[in-house]
Amino acid sequence: MLVAYLLLAVVTSGAVFCFRNRTATLLSISLFLVGQTVLTVYAFCHLNERDCTYFTFDSLGVILSSVLTILSFATFYHSYLYLGRQSDNKRNKSIYYAALIMLSASLNGAYFAEHLGTLWSFIEATTLCVAVLIYHDRTNHALEATWKYVFICSIGLAVALVAILCISIASSKEGVSDLNLSTIIAHAQGMDTIWIKITFILAMAGFSAKMGLFPLYAVCVDAHTVAPAPISAFISTTLMNVGFLGIYRMYCIVAQTDALPWANKVLMIAGIFSMSLAAVQLLKVKHFKRMFAFSSMEHMGIVVLALSAGGIGYYAAIFHIVLHSFAKAGLFYQIGQVCSVYHSYVIKETGNYMKLNPLGSIVVILTFISVTAIPPSGLFISEFMMFKSLFAGRHYFVAIVALFLLTIILYVIGKRLMHLLYYKGEGVATLEPVKLNNYETFSQFVLLGLIFYLGANPPVFLTDLITGATAILK
Amino acid sequence: MNVLGFVLAIISSLLIPGIITITKAKMSGKKGPGVFQPLFDIARLIRKGNVYSTTTSVIFQIGPIIYFASVVVALLFVPFGQYKGLLSFDADFVFFAYLLGIGKFMMIISAMDTGSGFEGMGANREALYSMLVEPIFFILMGSLALLTHYSSFYDLFVHIHYDSYLTYLIAALGVYLLLQIAMVENSRLPIDDPKTHLELTMIHEVMVLDNSGFDMGLINLATGLKFALYGGLIANFIFPVEWSLYAQIVVFIMVNLLFAVAVGLMESFRARNKLAKNPKWILMLSSISLIVFLCVIEITQKLL
Amino acid sequence: MAFTLIILLELTLLYLAFTERVKRFIFILMVQGLLLFGIAYLHLKQVNTLEFTFIVTETILIKGLLVPIFLNRLRKKNNLERLAHSKLPSFVSILAISAAIAFGFLLSEKIHDNDLQSKFFSASIAAIITGIYFVIIHRNIFTHVIGYLIIQNGVFLLSLAVGNEFPLIVNTAILLDIFVGVLVLGIFVNRVGERFEEMHIDELAQLKD
Repeated sequence: MLVAYLLLAVVTSGAVFCFRNRTATLLSISLFLVGQTVLTVYAFCHLNERDCTYFTFDSLGVILSSVLTILSFATFYHSYLYLGRQSDNKRNKSIYYAALIMLSASLNGAYFAEHLGTLWSFIEATTLCVAVLIYHDRTNHALEATWKYVFICSIGLAVALVAILCISIASSKEGVSDLNLSTIIAHAQGMDTIWIKITFILAMAGFSAKMGLFPLYAVCVDAHTVAPAPISAFISTTLMNVGFLGIYRMYCIVAQTDALPWANKVLMIAGIFSMSLAAVQLLKVKHFKRMFAFSSMEHMGIVVLALSAGGIGYYAAIFHIVLHSFAKAGLFYQIGQVCSVYHSYVIKETGNYMKLNPLGSIVVILTFISVTAIPPSGLFISEFMMFKSLFAGRHYFVAIVALFLLTIILYVIGKRLMHLLYYKGEGVATLEPVKLNNYETFSQFVLLGLIFYLGANPPVFLTDLITGATAILK
Repeated sequence: MNVLGFVLAIISSLLIPGIITITKAKMSGKKGPGVFQPLFDIARLIRKGNVYSTTTSVIFQIGPIIYFASVVVALLFVPFGQYKGLLSFDADFVFFAYLLGIGKFMMIISAMDTGSGFEGMGANREALYSMLVEPIFFILMGSLALLTHYSSFYDLFVHIHYDSYLTYLIAALGVYLLLQIAMVENSRLPIDDPKTHLELTMIHEVMVLDNSGFDMGLINLATGLKFALYGGLIANFIFPVEWSLYAQIVVFIMVNLLFAVAVGLMESFRARNKLAKNPKWILMLSSISLIVFLCVIEITQKLL
Repeated sequence: MAFTLIILLELTLLYLAFTERVKRFIFILMVQGLLLFGIAYLHLKQVNTLEFTFIVTETILIKGLLVPIFLNRLRKKNNLERLAHSKLPSFVSILAISAAIAFGFLLSEKIHDNDLQSKFFSASIAAIITGIYFVIIHRNIFTHVIGYLIIQNGVFLLSLAVGNEFPLIVNTAILLDIFVGVLVLGIFVNRVGERFEEMHIDELAQLKD
């Protein structure tokens, strides 16, 4: 099934790239989206089954793939609008769509990868696809960010490959001859702890470039700053999720051994460092997308903190990843609209959004509530669970520091967004309301609705999937 | 028979400078002087009397003689195939190195003795490079000692057995290193160019700027002897001790000849390093000697 | 024999620290590709056509030929001749790389594992450290690409040191990824060369708060 899907992706992206006309592009994209949906449904129906030797439809993969499917619908739609607002360069457009299709396909490949080598090669493929997308604007800034992203991610992933080779050394000593995750996890208990520790620290450092976590976070932030708004939305969610997936897979292996408390400590340090760096950077940030990029970093910090706390934290981590994806995507899509009003992402040049685009302002307020985890939103639930697990694990100090950092972040983001909504000073007072596409805003409401719905009343299949994904850790 | 090696070394020391000159001339398309031309030059110098500056002391006068003597004595240690050198005892390579060190020290202080700024500069550089080159020699010899469990030149070279690819590699790297040490010790390319005419970039030539006549002749002779010294060590490295005496004589002469030609070729085809690059270059040689050491550890498994 | 080749590989690493000419960097990458072929070939337990073809493609064709040719074209196009290490005095890099080699050696001795070919391990550690060191000290992005390739060579050696091998198809996927990655990096190096006056990392520091 997955091979068929990948073939479909290659064919459709090839078609988009070659034909370069409206009909063919629309047709190919719809075909791909159908294929994407079918794959997700198929995977859900064949949960925990092997597919094409190197893939497994496991619970975490299905969750992330569903998120990807929902977001890819929204992203293609917003990209269509975004590119419509931009100059009419057919070549760039076709490259954009083709790369986006390939990116989604390689993300799916990574989500479902069972063999560690496959996992690695699909993650590396996402780096290469996303390079084209970040470079879409062809500006000096775009060039800088792309270069840094591709280069640092390649280095990081080379380190991650070393980690995979280390786990291979450890597992071959246990008589494991393949590198399938399930086999390695099954045999992990007897493996040499030193090798497991080396593996985990290297994988953590390597995949942190993708996840936007502490050691190599900077490139992710730059990439989110300069990419087109729909791409920022897509990569600050699905692409960061793939980094999380990489770390999580390694964590599942470590969790079977005695190195677990050590790994928890590593994760906790990475999480706290990510959060504090994000908070410090947020204080001086001047650019909306950069601000949200740091907010993503902070959320990833929360996720690994939840992971390190254990217990209910495992559930919280995955739940948080899902909800954060929807919230951050909605926010970035809306920022795209904000940019079409002010023609700038710089915070100082905006204001009075409430008057200029009331419907959009409601989205901004709702996403603000979501990303800062204010109660009715679902992210409050997951963060609450995270703190609960931290306190239960007697990590009082870490929990208090995290709470303090969250307060700073809440203050900064609130202040900046209130400036956007209500500031009526010079420069913005003369702006006329812009006619915007209401359907565009509506699609963001759908995503926001999902956050509130999933938070308040998570459907049984979702909780089952999350429980299934964390079952291996208990 | 121990004298044979010494005699051969002396003969080749007299010929090596000429061969180098000829090779360089041929490579640059010139006719070049005869092989013995450097010898004639030295003979001419030796016939002349010395001129000493009034500011110099006795150190300046004895410096070149001690230098020459130290090189000659060092030559006594070089073994020849299955025959020991005229002098040989355990750990004689340390003695060998410091004997050369004494000579160099005397040259350096005699250069300082003249009180000339240029000579002080040359002496400074020469001291720096000799200091940097010392670890290379010791690591190389120490590695061989570890490999063979012996510590005199004779035993080291007699007991090396080339039985694996790794030992071939060690031999190749050892020969390369000795070649380069010879180049550094003799202040030849790529460290220093004997043909250079700018005092600011000279090293050895500027150090001996005040020496003349007999002293200068001795210094030039010592240069040839030093080449023969390292040529002899390289020859010992290469040829197996089991060969017959005549074969060994031929090989010894061939190796020295090749050594001279190699030096000539190297000097014809490469540019001189920038001065600032020299320490880096010598340091790289010491890193290579470190690799030799690691190879030896790998063979002997001593570290475990 | 394999160990001799590994020692030669370590010598190329040392030379990399010494030289400053871009041409030499590329030449060294080529030599390393050929050495890796020798090492991988000697490491093969039985010669199987498919695996042999794969190794030839990976080492000689890609690492030894295509990538150096590509880099050389890049070098000519951007007039790169000499790249001095600007951050540190040059002999520090020789010391650092010697230390890396010694460290790799000591580490492999310390682990001394039967499954693990400690010789491969030592050289691969040295190569990876050298690559990372290169990326850190050099300020030119072209050299960063070379550092990346050295890291990849180290990873390739490490994959030989590891007992159980990847399936061929996964290996091919990894190889393809790395190759395309180098191409993409090269294309961006070119773009930076066109857009900015120098390929200096300091030019690429505009994105900040």
